[in-house]
Amino acid sequence: MGRMKFLCDAERCIECNGCVTACKNENEVPWGVNRRRVVTMNDGVPGERSISVACMHCSDAPCMAVCPTNCFYKTEEGVVLHDKDLCIGCGYCFFACPFGAPQFPNGPAAFGDRGKMDKCTFCAGGPEETGSKAEYEKYGSNRIAEGKLPACAEMCSTKALLAGDSSTVSDIFRDRVLRRGKGLEAWGWMTAYGSGDQQREQKREREGQK
Amino acid sequence: MKAKSLISVLVLVAGSIGLSACGEVPQVTTYEQGKYQGKADAQPWDNPTFKGDKAAWEKAVKNRARNQHEYNRIQ
Amino acid sequence: MLTKKAAVAAGAGRRLRNAAARIVGQTMDRRAFLKRSGLGVGAGAIATQLPYNLIGSAEAANTAEKRTGSGNEEVRRTICTHCSVGCAADAVVKNGVWVRQEAVFDSPINLGAHCAKGAALREHGHGEHRLKYPMKLVDGKYQKISWEQALNEVGDRLLKIREESGPDATYWIGSSKHNNEQAYLLRKFVSFWGTNNCDHQARICHSTTVAGVANTWGYGAMTNSYNDMQNAKAALYIGSNAAEAHPVSMLHLLHAKENGCKVVVVDPRFTRTAAKGDYYVRIRSGTDIPFIWGMLYHIFQNGWEDKAYIQARVYGLDKVKEEVMKWTPDKVTEVTGIPEEQVFKTAEILAKNRPSTVVWCMGQTQHTVGNANVRAMCILQLVLGNVGVSGGGTNIFRGHDNVQGATDVGPNPDSLPGYYGLAAGSWKHWASVWGVDYEWIKGRYVSQAMMEKSGITVSRWIDGVLENNELIDQDSNLRAVVYWGHAPNSQTRGAEMVEAMMKLDTLVVIDPYPSATAAMAAMVRKDGVYLLPASTQFETYGSCTASNRSIQWREKVIEPLFESKPDHTIMYAFAKKFGFADELVKNIKLEKDAQGWDEPNIEDILREINRGTWTIGYTGQSPERLKLHMKNMHTFDVKTLKAVGGPCDGEYFGLPWPCFGTPEMKHPGTPNLYDTSKHVMDGGGNFRANFGVERNGESLLAEDGSASKGADLQMGYPEFDHVLLKKLGWWDELTEAEKVAAEGKNWKTDPSGGIIRVAMKNHGCHPFGNAKARALVWNFPDPVPLHREPIYSPRPDLVEKYPTHDDKMAFWRLPTLYKSLQTKVKDISREYPLVMTSGRLVEYEGGGEETRSNPWLAELQQEMFCEVNPKDANDQGIRNGDYMWVESPTKARLKVRAQVTPRVGPGTVFLPFHFSGWWQGEDMLKYYPDGAAPIVRGEAINTATTYGYDPVTMMQETKTTLCRVMKA
Repeated sequence: MGRMKFLCDAERCIECNGCVTACKNENEVPWGVNRRRVVTMNDGVPGERSISVACMHCSDAPCMAVCPTNCFYKTEEGVVLHDKDLCIGCGYCFFACPFGAPQFPNGPAAFGDRGKMDKCTFCAGGPEETGSKAEYEKYGSNRIAEGKLPACAEMCSTKALLAGDSSTVSDIFRDRVLRRGKGLEAWGWMTAYGSGDQQREQKREREGQK
Repeated sequence: MKAKSLISVLVLVAGSIGLSACGEVPQVTTYEQGKYQGKADAQPWDNPTFKGDKAAWEKAVKNRARNQHEYNRIQ
Repeated sequence: MLTKKAAVAAGAGRRLRNAAARIVGQTMDRRAFLKRSGLGVGAGAIATQLPYNLIGSAEAANTAEKRTGSGNEEVRRTICTHCSVGCAADAVVKNGVWVRQEAVFDSPINLGAHCAKGAALREHGHGEHRLKYPMKLVDGKYQKISWEQALNEVGDRLLKIREESGPDATYWIGSSKHNNEQAYLLRKFVSFWGTNNCDHQARICHSTTVAGVANTWGYGAMTNSYNDMQNAKAALYIGSNAAEAHPVSMLHLLHAKENGCKVVVVDPRFTRTAAKGDYYVRIRSGTDIPFIWGMLYHIFQNGWEDKAYIQARVYGLDKVKEEVMKWTPDKVTEVTGIPEEQVFKTAEILAKNRPSTVVWCMGQTQHTVGNANVRAMCILQLVLGNVGVSGGGTNIFRGHDNVQGATDVGPNPDSLPGYYGLAAGSWKHWASVWGVDYEWIKGRYVSQAMMEKSGITVSRWIDGVLENNELIDQDSNLRAVVYWGHAPNSQTRGAEMVEAMMKLDTLVVIDPYPSATAAMAAMVRKDGVYLLPASTQFETYGSCTASNRSIQWREKVIEPLFESKPDHTIMYAFAKKFGFADELVKNIKLEKDAQGWDEPNIEDILREINRGTWTIGYTGQSPERLKLHMKNMHTFDVKTLKAVGGPCDGEYFGLPWPCFGTPEMKHPGTPNLYDTSKHVMDGGGNFRANFGVERNGESLLAEDGSASKGADLQMGYPEFDHVLLKKLGWWDELTEAEKVAAEGKNWKTDPSGGIIRVAMKNHGCHPFGNAKARALVWNFPDPVPLHREPIYSPRPDLVEKYPTHDDKMAFWRLPTLYKSLQTKVKDISREYPLVMTSGRLVEYEGGGEETRSNPWLAELQQEMFCEVNPKDANDQGIRNGDYMWVESPTKARLKVRAQVTPRVGPGTVFLPFHFSGWWQGEDMLKYYPDGAAPIVRGEAINTATTYGYDPVTMMQETKTTLCRVMKA
């Protein structure tokens, strides 16, 4: 299996915000905290396009790199998670993230203790016992451990937002692109996967390691 | 680099002394640069649903992902 | 540096800059705009969140110890209640609490997909902002009362009014959010009360469609389905913003587009649907007919019409063509503002990519020419030979989750369930189905005349209160109104509505979220208002009909929250009070609920619907068959909706009506209406013979060879009755028992279903006959659809050329103004120069109280706003994000945020219609019952909308009126 990835197909995203409320519903994220949001460009004029953005679970995640308490970790499936017990809410990750994924809740509600960072977990919970109350309160649902995918993508109204093993996601997307007879237009692809050059370089690295 | 080691020292100090009076749990144990410092997390297949069977979990997730591909049901 | 890896840091910085540049460098979008302007609202809302944050609800649920894998979880399948697409959702319930919501990938309708509203359904398990117990207005404040007191006081007041002023002095506004069984029971309930003064949302949503389309070819419903749109090669959206109003339908459309379907969007506004289209045409609001005639002009000029189809299946097109050919391109451009090449290109796309389909919604229907608009669309599709064809048809997207069902069997002022009308024969048919005496029902009414006279419509109930008594066509003015699942802010002329509310004797609101009505009433009254908490559809069970006529079954997810009761339980409680409880449930079992209330059994109600609704084929959909479909969703093909193998083999999903005959006849339902390429027992059909067999010597029946596949009669034929069956020599195919039942009856009134069985099963014929579609609807005010300027038109020059209708007296019991008003306000556009139009937002539904009470949705749209073009904004000195006033000719003023955007053209402003809770600049929070105000409140556009009604159905004009704007 490859890594877990999100991909938003801008040709299909209609900015319905289903992903946003699916996330709120599944993880009971409080008002003001948006693990996922939909961004629209060229609003109201021809060329208008929307994409749904959350943590992209970067291969080389800037948040991990800058965290002063090293509270981030990456699972074997490529999901970037963090330990809220260590987070000091400094906001470096927010500064470093190219997608604005880290959120900083305010107030005493869940997720909110001392403004600890909260972000999309790919519905994979966090470092507490799988499926426990503690895990749910701190990190939200752990669908991945149930063999399910993130609620946002599973409920996307037009199946624009795809999630899962990157090879499966790219198979689905490739199928569509072929039918459309148009080029690669997935927003965020370059950032998440890198350009062809970078990919080839990574491949060489991997093969060199073997 | 300098500023960074300063931070880690501060965090250590704060964790062990500064906040103990407030009844706060120390947050940082041993700091190791560049390495995850938090609690260990279980693998997604290490639970009663999958009983440690990674292949079964992978199959489940793959099947689930196919739901996003409406061409599987519509030609 | 604080980073550990310098290389990564540089990369991250670059990416951040790039991303920021990409996002910030563009025009500001609606949400960014609202986020910036709506901080105050958000902050206030956080406080309201506290009672039911995660910990609270998790503890209440007592489930969070282990969220997964535990034994006592149950999954209940339900259907989203927020639009007519009919998205299935699975509710995971633990210890009686709705703990999770899962996608139903098996559903052939939504394949697991949801929009913002559907993905937020589980909030209904919280319902923190609902009305929690019965309340009564005492000295201007709402006070808690018991159910017993509420039923007694409301009952006594209504009975007193009935005694003093007759049953017609009450008005019953039912709901398209009731399930079929509740909607049906309410029509029966109101009939036993003795009035036809009842209505529901369909009046102000698609009544013009239902009337216009049914009068063209038989049934007033979406001909095909969302799924079937995948077969279209071109799609025209006109007056529909499906991406926001029916988001999951876009799954099917975008799939079609990916496979080559060309998508054209015609709208005054560059909608999110337009953003997904291939071609966008901006039209002046209210000029649909000139645009459609403009297209037909090119179609006729280029010989693109389907001549064989027209010859065999269309009546009266010559007359239409005469009118069309008057609409030369210059005239079309003059009226619509659309350049000729765009009209031509749209026509060409539709003509050269057949089958092509059309989609319309309220942009077509809510006009003073609504019925003519929709008929023009039907004519366009007939000319192109697109009706009765997979991939073609008129895909009319309905609004509420069960508005189709409530239209079919619910509280309509002009008809008993199943479009039977109100004639004596119809009453006798239903009286026998209900098992009650016709004479007894008649005795409940003032007279037989009132029993057969259509009631007042929901769009005009305020005039039923306010109009001079001599001018209304019933004895008394309205003295009591019961709002039973309907928003007040969805009706026009809100400023006059509060006057009507003030004048009423009694106002009763039965709703999970009665607060908009409650607040408006409390603003102008001190007493005489009662609020009764109803349950949502997640707290009861029953069937609902999606836009494509598929019927789905909802399981009960949770028990009624707080002190709420399901609507049918409340109906029965009032029936007891009113003294017709036994008659109401003659064929219906009663069950005791947890509090000992009597609850009529929903399955029994559906079986009663099955036994009576032959006209539109609501007879085959027994509860058992529907439940089987819900269990076997995965066996249905997504494109055809047909089950392949399995227990439902050969049936269409949800047995889309007409599903003729008894359930035992096993009709599979009809996926696409009037489709002659299929056998009638496989869902095929043809146009309905509902308008006689000839007109002025010309046959109305279809030509030879145009019958449905395999029919024994391969020609046009009239509808079946006992006489025709005997003439054809088929009478003896009835059983002896069927013969007794069918003697003297037609296919619609034969209670055995025998006539239908013989015609369909034995002979492959359609029970409703085989006729031509009518391009010329001679019984309507404009038999050929004519352009008529809106009453409040921005173009006085065109008002002279294309004036509206003459005034009408006693129309749905009320005098109705057209020309006299139009003449009076002809030049008002000098003072009110901008066209004011309205529409939907994806996060909210209808009047919006329910969805604005859902924090997951409310957070996304925190303020009422007005879209205004940069030119108009600059002319008035209005900056983006400012408060602005929108004032209409009624002098009502709305204080809203300005969203300056080219989404609307110069000269037009757009406001969403889901808001309420502000009144002309003032927050109405203090008028709400404590704890039952929605999170987000704002000005209701309908506070300011003006007079104007369709001359057939009394549809209100909401899409074209005038206003002026200024900086607040």
